[in-house]
Amino acid sequence: MRDFSYLRADSVEAARNAAALPGAMLLAGGTTLVDLAKCGVAEPSAVIDISHIKGLDAIDVSAGRAVIGALAKMSHVADHAEIKGRFPAVSEALWQAASAQLRNMASIGGNLMQRTRCPYFRDPANFPACNKRAPGSGCSAIGGVTRGHAVLGTSEACIATYPGDLAIALVAFDAEVHLGERRLKVEDFFLAPGATAEREHDIRPGEVITAIEIPGSAAARRSTYLKVRDRQSYEFAAASAAVGLELEGDGRTIRDIRIALGGVATKPWRARAVEDALKGKTFDEATVRKASELTMEGAVDHGANHYKIELAPRVVARAILKLGETA
Amino acid sequence: MTVHEMKHAASDGARLEAVGGRLSRVDGPAKITGAAHYAVEQQLEGLAHAVMVESTVAAGTVLSIDTRAAETAPGVLLVLTPDTIIPLRTASDWFGTPPPNVPYCPLARVVTYSGQHVAAVVAETFEQAVAAAALVKVTYDETPAIVDLSDPKAGDGIPIEAMTKEWGDAQAAFAASPVRVCAAYNTPREFQAAMEPHGLIARWQGEALTIWEPSQWLDGMARTYAEWFAIPFENVRLVSPYIGGGFGSKALALAHSAVAAASAKMLGRPVKLMLTRPQNFTSYGGRAATRQTVAIGADRDGKIQSIVHRGVNETAVDGMWVEPLGSVTSIMYATPNFSSKQNVVRVNTVVPGAKRAPGENPSAFGIESAIDELAYELGIDPLEIRLRNYAEEDPHARKAWSTRQLREAFAAGAEAFGWAKRSPAPRSMRDGHHLIGWGVAAGTYPVRRAHGEAVVNILADGSVEVESSSIDMGQGTYTILAQTAAETLGVPVEQVSVKLGDSHFARAGVAGGSRLAGVMTGAVYKAASQALDELIGLAIADPRSPFHALQANTLVVRDGRIASPRGEGPELSIAELLSAVGREKIEAKGDTMPATTTAEERYKNYTTIAMSIPHTEGDYSRHSWCAHFVEVRVDEDFGTVRVSRVVSALDSGRLYNPKLAESQWKGGIIMGIGQALLEEGLVDRRHGRIVNGNLADYMIPTNADIPDIQTISVGIPDPHSSALGGKGVGELGIVGVAPAIANAVFHATGKRVRDLPITLEKLI
Amino acid sequence: MNDQSTISPTTLSIHLTINGRDHALDIEPRVTLLDALRDRLHLTGTKKGCDQGQCGACTVHVDGERVLACLTLAAQVAGRSVTTIEGLAGEDGTLNAVQAAFLEQDAFQCGYCTPGQIMSAVACIREGHAGSDEEIREYMAGNLCRCGAYPHIVAAVRHAAEGLRS
Repeated sequence: MRDFSYLRADSVEAARNAAALPGAMLLAGGTTLVDLAKCGVAEPSAVIDISHIKGLDAIDVSAGRAVIGALAKMSHVADHAEIKGRFPAVSEALWQAASAQLRNMASIGGNLMQRTRCPYFRDPANFPACNKRAPGSGCSAIGGVTRGHAVLGTSEACIATYPGDLAIALVAFDAEVHLGERRLKVEDFFLAPGATAEREHDIRPGEVITAIEIPGSAAARRSTYLKVRDRQSYEFAAASAAVGLELEGDGRTIRDIRIALGGVATKPWRARAVEDALKGKTFDEATVRKASELTMEGAVDHGANHYKIELAPRVVARAILKLGETA
Repeated sequence: MTVHEMKHAASDGARLEAVGGRLSRVDGPAKITGAAHYAVEQQLEGLAHAVMVESTVAAGTVLSIDTRAAETAPGVLLVLTPDTIIPLRTASDWFGTPPPNVPYCPLARVVTYSGQHVAAVVAETFEQAVAAAALVKVTYDETPAIVDLSDPKAGDGIPIEAMTKEWGDAQAAFAASPVRVCAAYNTPREFQAAMEPHGLIARWQGEALTIWEPSQWLDGMARTYAEWFAIPFENVRLVSPYIGGGFGSKALALAHSAVAAASAKMLGRPVKLMLTRPQNFTSYGGRAATRQTVAIGADRDGKIQSIVHRGVNETAVDGMWVEPLGSVTSIMYATPNFSSKQNVVRVNTVVPGAKRAPGENPSAFGIESAIDELAYELGIDPLEIRLRNYAEEDPHARKAWSTRQLREAFAAGAEAFGWAKRSPAPRSMRDGHHLIGWGVAAGTYPVRRAHGEAVVNILADGSVEVESSSIDMGQGTYTILAQTAAETLGVPVEQVSVKLGDSHFARAGVAGGSRLAGVMTGAVYKAASQALDELIGLAIADPRSPFHALQANTLVVRDGRIASPRGEGPELSIAELLSAVGREKIEAKGDTMPATTTAEERYKNYTTIAMSIPHTEGDYSRHSWCAHFVEVRVDEDFGTVRVSRVVSALDSGRLYNPKLAESQWKGGIIMGIGQALLEEGLVDRRHGRIVNGNLADYMIPTNADIPDIQTISVGIPDPHSSALGGKGVGELGIVGVAPAIANAVFHATGKRVRDLPITLEKLI
Repeated sequence: MNDQSTISPTTLSIHLTINGRDHALDIEPRVTLLDALRDRLHLTGTKKGCDQGQCGACTVHVDGERVLACLTLAAQVAGRSVTTIEGLAGEDGTLNAVQAAFLEQDAFQCGYCTPGQIMSAVACIREGHAGSDEEIREYMAGNLCRCGAYPHIVAAVRHAAEGLRS
């Protein structure tokens, strides 16, 4: 790890000013930045510690929405009674992420800035080619060990999977990220690689994530996050789905459904084709399974990750069916 | 090196101190309070920090190493390259084979695997060394690498004649058998992944070298250092008070060890080097990838007529590792015809090494999967077919088993598991989305024996010291040796302190092959018996002893007090007697060697494995045995497998401490669950490099992956296997777990997975 | 910015509160809490297993919550309260209930992951995540144990939690 200077910001304003310095990076929980600095991927010249800023960790849930301060810890949000009650998929995505220790460290804002776990991205010494790290250098993953790589949203420049869980739930429920004055949909905050794999987020120099806002809805209230992986815990998703469901008064017709996918795409992936296929339909297993097959429209595999194309629709279907049982 | 306070919790009633008692770990209090200082945690004045630089190609030649930026980086003391490191001498191998008279350079000029050490940086602080190591620029002339067993360049490999085992006419008998199964079984590169990384501290004082390093074999590693630096064996002191897990990986001094010791010599300062976690996947070998074909021919009653077995394991371009794949195949079942042969194939990897039950582990995956396939082919219960082919004697050595409680293991395990309630057909048991499968497999591990020595001192205050250069990496050596000394001497176990992990203590051989407990309890028993004889001799014969007038033939010691067997006459504590006769200390050094053993033979016994005693020596064939019963739940949509229940019945002979033996068995079973479902070194075929060399991507089981596990001891004391009747414990538990799980997965799903690990894409 | 911005960019003078005691340190900003504990303060009970946030061996408490010392910069916890395994037992050596349960249940073998397991277990119980064996397994999953002491760790946490409840 190269040496860097350490500055503590005691206000958002101070953080913004410091973040605009060349080579400066923000430090909240440290679970991404310190890790990547050790890998030789992140090489900040200045680390701006924002973790001591007061008042940025509030969790405010009302009937209409949840506003979560950027410095709220993943564990605190996961265990928050109102989040559990009104946004179960958000809580479930959080407690199934990482480990208890990492969730105590990682902030919600920092979690949105989590980088891919692509082993080629994380090993610059052995794999210099990586368009995320060095634009134009190529992609070492394509043609390599691709078992964990994305099948949706990939490009010739990058097939790295977005690894997080929380953002999957946020995208499903149309959450917004607050970057000070500027606000945008979490779905739009994340960028697919295209030809610019190095740009993962729509965030500008000097911008600091201050909060996440999740609109309340019937679908969010009746929601779940289903994560499938090799290991029972402490692992990134092979495929995951955040699903929310609202039925009409008849208890059978689907009024609203939200579906987003994790572990299979280069960014949190909203499965609108499946949503559209199910809205207005009668809820039954055959309909759900058939619609779920649309999950992987446009998917492209790279050999060892082909199973994700089989797996993801089943994860979506199971999550939806599970919600149906909880009526 | 460490004396433990004995504040154990007496949980299991009386006689905890005796051999066989469920005494809690005597090193436990130090480990649960953070007071246990592992080897690289010694605090030394002037300690410098070294970091290795590894090759980024799998094959080729180092063209240049640009060290300028590193040398001028803050805090840097030394940058080592093949050109600047002091020359060393080649050391002998672990058989003690005399080395070729060529210099040894632990930094590679010719690269034979990705991750090979090519340079190193030593700096004032760890952070400075890490930063400077990243500045070392190496260029290579890269040549094509053989990446793994399936590489077209790999070829068929080298036949290892010593692995050939044949009797009868196996090919003809197989061809003539009415029922036949034949399949290929593969295991990937697997890693020990001990939680404590490899590393060391090296300090020179003149021509004397002290090494603090986690070690499964102090005397063997001390010999290697002595040979590298051409100094007398006695000049090397290796210290390893606690070892944070080894599983076979910590028995040898490695290239990075030589670099640290050389740099300490060059700098005149102590140097600490701790491999990074990724370097722990390339600096020493894990279990070699293996391939086997197993063909079994049987009659219609399920009696095996022939087994034909062929195996291959990978080894390194510049080193030899044979993973004996026919070891279980040749002894588990009675068969009139048998053939097993094995090749090794050179690939560009670090030399593979020992990982828990090398040989027996993959061997059992082959034969215990194959016999399960035969059971389904015949429509016979998988447990029943094993009993029908039960080997009443060692089919290969043609000798009686010393003890073989495998039938008892099958019975006890089946009863506790509820095997009789099993529904035979695949896919016939389910719970919601979960397909449920029950599987069984057997395991075995030979009783490896050797000689050891120990010092037992009785001190003036009546306390007892045991000293040995053997080690405790979690098997419980501290505890069982305290129990052995306490029971033999008749003193409370609280009065015994055990010192291990210092090569200047009485010598011991390798802690490997599950032999250490049997060897060392025997040595301590002998030394303690000698000390007791001397103590009683003093009490009877010394004119100053209060017992002198008694003219007794013998005396007894109980709870640290000396008395006549019938209780008449005086009763004294050991301290009181030693005080009365004016003795400060009774010292006894005991070993298990024949009296005629020469000094050279002793040295060889402790510093090589050449003098291990074959498990089929004399009239008996000696092995531990086990039977695993496993329940899996397979998600029918996702293909994910979770082990939901394990019952294992095991025969390790007499248990020196059941509480600790059960822990080791369970540990083996859990490592076997990881092997079956998760663990695989993934090789990038373009670069010949493991890309998942870390603990997030090379997955070992978490707590959430492991159900409660029931172990049942079915062993009986085996006098042919060890002085106190025990057989091996540490490696047995893992053998047979992977096939039991694969067999359960077949029962659940109807899919036979013959390539480990059984990951979801193989079942989806 | 607070006054730390005026300190030299390459060396910080900080105070860490560890196990209730104040420690003054002059360190580079890149020094992790783990290396500060082990190499500077000689508190080696906190173990380095992976140095990448992947094993849990370095688990300590910061302001009472379990975190990984390997991914925490030492400078970051200046002003916070750090507890390590060395600070868990009472002043008189009385073991914490979790420590005692680990010994009794033989919840470790090599002992290297053990301080992290124990620190994690103490927090797990405090968080209210030790309600069932299944919950203990999930909330202890961030602490790898290669010796395979997991069933005994679960038993130790269960016993300690029951003891603390009663």
